[in-house]
Amino acid sequence: MLNALWIVLLGMATVFAVLGILLLVMTILNTLIKPKDKEEKEDK
Amino acid sequence: MNPITGEFFGFLALNWQSLAMLIIGGILIWLGIAKKVEPVLLVPIGFGCLLANMPLGGAAETGGFLAILREAGIRTEIFPLLIFIAVGAMIDFEPFLQRPYTIFLGAAAQFGIFGTFFLAYLLGDGWLHILDFSLKDAASIGIIGSADGPTSIYVATTLQSKYAAAIVVAAYSYMALVPIIQPPIIKAMCSKEERALKMPSVAGTISRRTKILFPIVTALVVGLICPKATPLIGCLMFGNLLRECGVVERLSLAAQNELANIVTILLGLTVGGMMSGAEFLRPETILVFILGIIAFSLDTVAGVLLGKVMYVLSGKRINPMIGACGISAFPMSSRVVQKLGLEANPQNHLLMHAVGANTAGQIASVVAGGVMLMLVPMFT
Repeated sequence: MLNALWIVLLGMATVFAVLGILLLVMTILNTLIKPKDKEEKEDK
Repeated sequence: MNPITGEFFGFLALNWQSLAMLIIGGILIWLGIAKKVEPVLLVPIGFGCLLANMPLGGAAETGGFLAILREAGIRTEIFPLLIFIAVGAMIDFEPFLQRPYTIFLGAAAQFGIFGTFFLAYLLGDGWLHILDFSLKDAASIGIIGSADGPTSIYVATTLQSKYAAAIVVAAYSYMALVPIIQPPIIKAMCSKEERALKMPSVAGTISRRTKILFPIVTALVVGLICPKATPLIGCLMFGNLLRECGVVERLSLAAQNELANIVTILLGLTVGGMMSGAEFLRPETILVFILGIIAFSLDTVAGVLLGKVMYVLSGKRINPMIGACGISAFPMSSRVVQKLGLEANPQNHLLMHAVGANTAGQIASVVAGGVMLMLVPMFT
């Protein structure tokens, strides 16, 4: 039963961690590529 | 030749199990056609069920066409992965990318998977031993809470659960029941004032470059941290890349239409073919269905709870109801929240906010499936 409890705790923690990291990476990328998008619009 | 034991007059070989399954198959077809409950799935599943339980028909026995489909498409996990390419090509992640915080609502709503897993294991080998639920069976039952048919099939077959057929049928049929399961829970947890809360519209659109990078980055990040989720997230994001890259429109349309339709027909028939009387008519099957409802309910409760936390932290700018959309039942869950929002306040259009959380839930459910596949063998 303790095994199952570990799976619940580790499982939820991992899901939050993976998605949190994904959010972080996307935020960083968004910040990095935003200026170029502005340039694209100006070109148009 | 004896006609009773021979190859014809199948009705003479009809037993109560076959008869019960023929009736169940008929009910599924009726629900699909007459009640329009997920007809795209229930009609093929119901018909597959009829064919599998035809006495002496042999469609689901070794060498039969349903058995071959099961071997080729389900055991190899090809069908759910192909469906995911189609799903990825159909989903527009823009509402989610405009509201990236909704990813945590998606994460919270996966509690239904883990909570139900725990409950199933307690009823089985974990404590009470009432039912024959091993750790792997319990994990497969819990995954019904992903509210995602392909993920349920993938996890249940990878973990080789004895209850794969019941799990898959429960996962698909409960998605159609989201408009019945979710509203009472949301209403019980959110006051009228909370439900009536209008959310500010999101300014700006997401750049094309971000939309193209998103599927690539997601596949890389999820795959690198949680490798067992790679096939699922990889196919989902590949489909989405076809949609967003803008240079392979033919492939994107093929994934959204031909691929989705062909695999849905094959998958539906195969799932129906898995519903043979001997395999399906067990007391455990009933409990799998009950646990399925519990999984969907826990998903909703956990999502709304985090929604309420966000409601407080944001200074009452986030409607807690959108937490219920962290469940990945897309787009049924979004429609439920939109409807409840309009009921509480006719000016309250929450659809795009709800869709954001709903698509986040799609990603989160795949991650949760991969996490389950990663953790269960570690503790078995």
